[in-house]
Parts: sequence; C-alpha cells; structure tokens
Amino acid sequence: MSEQSTPGTGTRSDVMISLRDVSKRYSGADAEAVRPLSIDIERGEFLVLVGPSGCGKTTTLRMINRLVEPSGGEIWVDGKNATRVDADELRRHIGYVIQQVGLLPHMTIGENVGLVPKLLGWGKDRIRQRVTELLDLVGLDPDTYRSRYPKQLSGGQQQRVGVARALAADPPVMLMDEPFGAIDPITRGHLQDEFLKLQARIRKTIVFVTHDIDEALRLGDRIAIFDENARLAQLATPLEILTNPADDFVRSFIGDGAALRRLALLRVGDLPAVPGVGIRDGVEVEPDETVSAVLEKVLAAGSDSAVVRGRGSLTVQDMLLATAVRDESAVAT
Amino acid sequence: MSFFDYVSANSEIIGFLLLQHLQVVLLAVGFATAISLGVAIGTERLPRVRAALLATSGTILTIPSFALFGLLIPVFGLGVAPTVLALTVYAIFPILRNTVTALETVDGAVIDAATGMGMGSGRRLRIVRLPLAWPVILNGIRVATIMVVAIAAIGAAVRGPGLGELIFRGLSRIGGANALNEALSGVVAIVVVALLLDVLFLLIGKLTTPRGLHV
Amino acid sequence: MTRVLTTRGDAAPRSSASAGTTGDAPRSSPIVPLVAALLVAGTLIYIKTADLDAIETRSLAIGELLVRLAEHVQLVAVSTVVVVALGVPLGILLSRQAAGPLQAPVLAVANAGQAIPSIGILVLLALLYDVGFAMAVVSLVVYALLPVLRNTMVGLRQVDRSIIDAARGMGMGSRRILFTVELPLAVPVMLAGIRIALILNVGVATLATYTNAGGLGDLIERGIVFYRMPILLSGCLLTIALALLVDWLAGVAESRLRPRGL
Repeated sequence: MSEQSTPGTGTRSDVMISLRDVSKRYSGADAEAVRPLSIDIERGEFLVLVGPSGCGKTTTLRMINRLVEPSGGEIWVDGKNATRVDADELRRHIGYVIQQVGLLPHMTIGENVGLVPKLLGWGKDRIRQRVTELLDLVGLDPDTYRSRYPKQLSGGQQQRVGVARALAADPPVMLMDEPFGAIDPITRGHLQDEFLKLQARIRKTIVFVTHDIDEALRLGDRIAIFDENARLAQLATPLEILTNPADDFVRSFIGDGAALRRLALLRVGDLPAVPGVGIRDGVEVEPDETVSAVLEKVLAAGSDSAVVRGRGSLTVQDMLLATAVRDESAVAT
Repeated sequence: MSFFDYVSANSEIIGFLLLQHLQVVLLAVGFATAISLGVAIGTERLPRVRAALLATSGTILTIPSFALFGLLIPVFGLGVAPTVLALTVYAIFPILRNTVTALETVDGAVIDAATGMGMGSGRRLRIVRLPLAWPVILNGIRVATIMVVAIAAIGAAVRGPGLGELIFRGLSRIGGANALNEALSGVVAIVVVALLLDVLFLLIGKLTTPRGLHV
Repeated sequence: MTRVLTTRGDAAPRSSASAGTTGDAPRSSPIVPLVAALLVAGTLIYIKTADLDAIETRSLAIGELLVRLAEHVQLVAVSTVVVVALGVPLGILLSRQAAGPLQAPVLAVANAGQAIPSIGILVLLALLYDVGFAMAVVSLVVYALLPVLRNTMVGLRQVDRSIIDAARGMGMGSRRILFTVELPLAVPVMLAGIRIALILNVGVATLATYTNAGGLGDLIERGIVFYRMPILLSGCLLTIALALLVDWLAGVAESRLRPRGL
C-alpha cells in the first residue's frame, strides 16, 4: 500500500480497492453501463454490489480484474493502479468466482484448484500441499475429491471447488459474481453460512455481486445498491439500509418486512439488557447471537425471556421494542 | 470363379492397393487437418475472413471430384500428386467447420473463469479451448476421412493410386470372366477401409477425449 | 463423387444436413453464378481462339458441347425427380410410429452407404445389368436416395414434440398434424437433403461417361484418354460451372421454399 501516493484522494493505508470515477460505456450504447463511481473498499471488508439486472453491478466487478476495460476513471488494487499493470498478472492475484463456476471439465478437482499456483510457477509439492489445505478449508475431503472430475460433483460441491480455486494463490482480493445464484435455496443457505465462517478466518477483501437483497443483507459488511439506471442509490451497512433506506427505490428493493429482517442483523449483546432480572427462567444465549435467533429459541422453549451471558435478561417485548427504539433514534440522527 | 476365390487368388494385389489407398487418404487428411487447424486458429480475430474461407471450402465440396481431379492434371500431371491434392481440398471443409464450431462453442463460463485466473489467449487456447474442442474436431476429421476414402476411388481415373484401380479395371474388361469380381473386390475393399477407419477414429476418440468429459 | 451427407454426433447435427449451410452466410451472393458465368465464357473464348487439332475441334464443337450438357442435365433432372418421388414418401412412412423399429437400421444403412464409392455403384450396376442412360439413372438414384430419405426422417423427428401435442390437444388427427404441422416444420431439413441429392447427382453424372451414358464427363474422359489438355480443361471447367450454378440455384430455391417464420 505504500506506493499509493496520488495526491488529493485521501490516501488511507487500509484501503484495498479504490474505484475512482470509474465508468463504462459500451460502444454504440446510449447510456453508460456504469456511471462514474467512486468507492473505497477497506482491507478485509466484504462489500456487496446489489441491484436489478442491467444495473452495472457485474460490469463494475469485472472492471476490477479488467475482464471489462473501464472507459474512464482509475481502479487501484492493493496500492497499484490496476488499469496500468499487465491484466493477466493482475488476475493471478485476484480470486474470481462466478455463478456458473467454470471449472475446467477436462481437469481433475486437484488440477483445477492448483491451476493458478501452476501459472505462478509454484513447485509440484507446494501445489499439492496447497490443494489439500484448500479442499479441507472448503469442507471437501482431499483424498476423496482431489482426483474426481467436475462433472462428478453436485452444484454446491462444484462451487466449493470454485471458491477453493479462487483462494489458491492466497490472493488478498476476491471477486464473486453471484457465486451461489445457481444453487438450490437450502444448499445456498449452508454455503452462505460456511462462507461467512471462512471469511471470519481468512479476512479477504471481497467484492460480491448478487441480485438477492437477502443474500446481500446476510453477507455484506457494506452494501452498494444500484438502480436499473446504474445509479448508486445507497452505500451503507445492512442495518443502516434497513433502518434508513435512502429513497423509494431502495425501499421498494428491500421489499416488505424491513423491521423483521432487522432482527436478523441485530445482536442481542447490543440491546440494553436488564441486569440480574429474570435470570432463573430465561433461555441462556450468547451476546453475539442475532435477535431473531434468540427470539426463535425463546419462543421454541415456551419461555418469554432470554438471559444474555454477562449482560442480563431480555424479554420478548424488550427485544421487539429495542429494535423499534433504535429505529427512531436512527431516524432522528 | 466365385468372388471369394477371386479375392484369395488376388489377395496380394488387393492388399497392396488397399495400403496405397490408406496411405493416400491419411496423407490428405493429415494435410487437411493441419490446414484447417491453422486457418481456424489464425482467423480467430478475423471473423469475415474465416466466414469467407469456410464458405469457399464448402463451395469447393460441390465441385464434382472427377472435374477437380481432371483440372489438376495440366499442372501436376497424372498420378499421386493430383489425387492427394484434390482429396486434401475436399477434406478441409468438414474439419474446418467442426474446428470453428467447436472453438466457438466452448462454454463461455469456463473461458471467463480461465481469463479471470490470469490465462492469456495463448494459454486459454492450449490449456482450455483445444482440449475441450478436441472431440468435435476429431469427429470432423473422421467424417472427412470416410468421405475421402470414397472419393479416392475416382483418383484411379487420373491414374491415381489405390483401390479405384480395381473398379476401373473391372469396367475395362466388361463382359470378361472376372470383370465383376474385380470391380466388386475394389468396392468391398473400399467399404472395408472406410469401416476400419471409422472404428479406428471412434477408438482414438475414446482414448484421447479428456477423461473429465465423459465421466 | 461423395459428399458429407450428415454425420453422427456432429458439431451441428441439424445444419450439417446440408454441407454448405454452416458459416456461409453469403449463400445467395451473386459471386457464385458470376464465377460460373466467367468459367463458361472463358472456356468458350479459349475454344474459339486456341489452335486446336482435329480431335479437339470435333470434341469441342458448340453442337457437341450442347449435346453433352443436355445429357448431363437430363441425367441429373430425371434422377433427382425420381429420388424425391421415392425418398420423401418413404421417409414419411418410415417416420410414422408403426415403422418405429425400422428407423434405426435404415438410418444406420443410410449412414454406412456413404462409404460406398459412387463409381463403384455405377460400374457394378453396369457390369451386372447394362450400360447406358437408364442404368446410369438407377445408379444416381440409388446413391442420392440416402440423403433425401435420411433428412426427411430426421426433419420429421426433430419437430418439437410440444407443438405436436398442442396440435393434438386442439383436436387435429394424425394425418392433419402431418400435413399442417410436421411437414411444414420439417421442410428446411428436407430441402437441405434434396439439395445434397441434387449436387451428388451432378457429380456422379460426370462419371456416367464410363458406362456410356454421356454427360460432360465425356469431355474429361476423352481429354485424359487422348491426353488433350484443351478437351480436358473445357470439360472440367464446364462441369464445375454447372455444379456451381446448380448449387446456387438450389440454394436460392431452398431459401425461397422455406416456410416463413422458421
């Protein structure tokens, strides 16, 4: 990051990807596919680009590894001007995961995962070791899966391999284009959970494209919502977006039930608990559990309150009201 | 003399002509394959040139082979050269068409992923596209081969090598004792060559198709 | 003369039914008939201006050329009509449900038939029966029947089942479905097969000279036998011009006859 020294751009050492007035206009098209866009993405941040089809989210993503060349502006990745370096070299240091996975069907899982390290000239043993490590990491038994072919795997398994392949050379940045879009809803939920856990360990800088607002709310540290005219409608945390939609478009894109969805994002540890009261008959929970998960536990237990470890107790009503109070206070600021 | 008696009495000459036939065909198909792959790969960024060459090679296929063989005589004389050249020209279209189609229809997601992981166009062609296109290309080569085996018979009209000679000799002895046997042995041997090559190519296809494609 | 009829497991199974359909968008481009016209004109000018000996002069007289051309066209026309008259109804019959078990073997034979050299059929029939025009027509028909039969069957078979279901659902009988739904939708593939048959006939007819049935191949053969390049070249160029012209006309007819909307 030390080489980044362009004046006047508010250089911050923890910015990993910086989009500066990046735009894209395809020749022959009237409107810009991507309007001049500036976003700084911090090291280790999980940014989700979300919006209806044609909003430019995928184009934006593909400009970062230059699968699409920007028409204007600059993109800096890890302190280097990505628009100036050799595109192939750039791509070998950026993980890339797409909806259709795109595993090479004529190569084994092991060969697929080891492809980028091979392109980078790693030795055989080092590649083999790395493949083992990665298959373990994404929850596929290396002995079983290394020598299988992509066609022998289910969609969910293939995408795990896709993620492992993207992580192969330990790139600091991962670009993910609707990676779970073609997977059945139940498996998708599992993969999202697993991926969040994985991300908590590896702390990559991730740019993730989806059209599914629920997926965005679930995964993103921040979310950029685009409308169909490629306008950036809002860039904020999930909670902020649910609490304070910037405009009607964002409101309609979130859809109904914003208040209930907020429960899935708030952690009980953040709510004002009453110390010491009702300790006996409450369900015991951890402070980092979400309000909706705690409500589910409380209701399932036939109880009416929860005891948050080290904090105090919360009644069902506390939990529901607390979110409402936060709502008002948020609106007020 | 029955057909089988005739064949066993003349097995040596039939075998010799069969080998000749095989050689001429494989030589022509080899040339055509090299030319087709070269053209297909060389015109990747020249879609109009590619379309024009494909159309031309398709149109050449409508030219009666007897006329094409004949046309080459003033330049190359009689014999092997005009035969191989004409067969090569005919074999190009099926191979070129399949190569172009196969390279163009490789799954876009796979190519996108390959590009995304930092493969340049040369690597993409070598590591991804050619291996994936290979079964279809090979099928084009097979089709061209079977076709050329039959056309090669007409090469005998310009004193070309191969089994066509038996057919024309039989014809020239029309009414003679073994005329029919002779012509029939030529026709049967040509069909045998075609079937053998067909099986051979299916076998090659089985052996060379990347395992991941047919698991 | 043999052509790619169509192939098992081809890259583009449907369009490959006509060897020339893939990738040659400028099919009806005027270049092809222009080339044909130039070939004819060039040949005629060459004949008029070249210093020809007695054999050459006799073989290349305008009247002689026209006779050969007429023989050639007759062979092609008669055999193509017979091929269509036999191949299309037979293909329809074979594609009916009752003929189900026959389909695979017939298609297999049709495919394997490509391996038989055309000159072989011509010569064998001549040796077995007779030489001359009629027997040549029989050879041409035998050889060119396969693509028509095959494409008729394939064309009918590839009609979307849901469209036939829909037709049945609105109360059409099987005969009505055949004539108002299946055949019109199969026409492009059938036409491609007929065009291939036509081109095959032009090609095989050049060999009919070997069984005394005349045609432009006469000139080529005479050129080779007497080693007279003017005769050989004139024969070759006129044959090529005819083939190009016939294929071009067939292409034009093919695109005209194809039902709109397909």
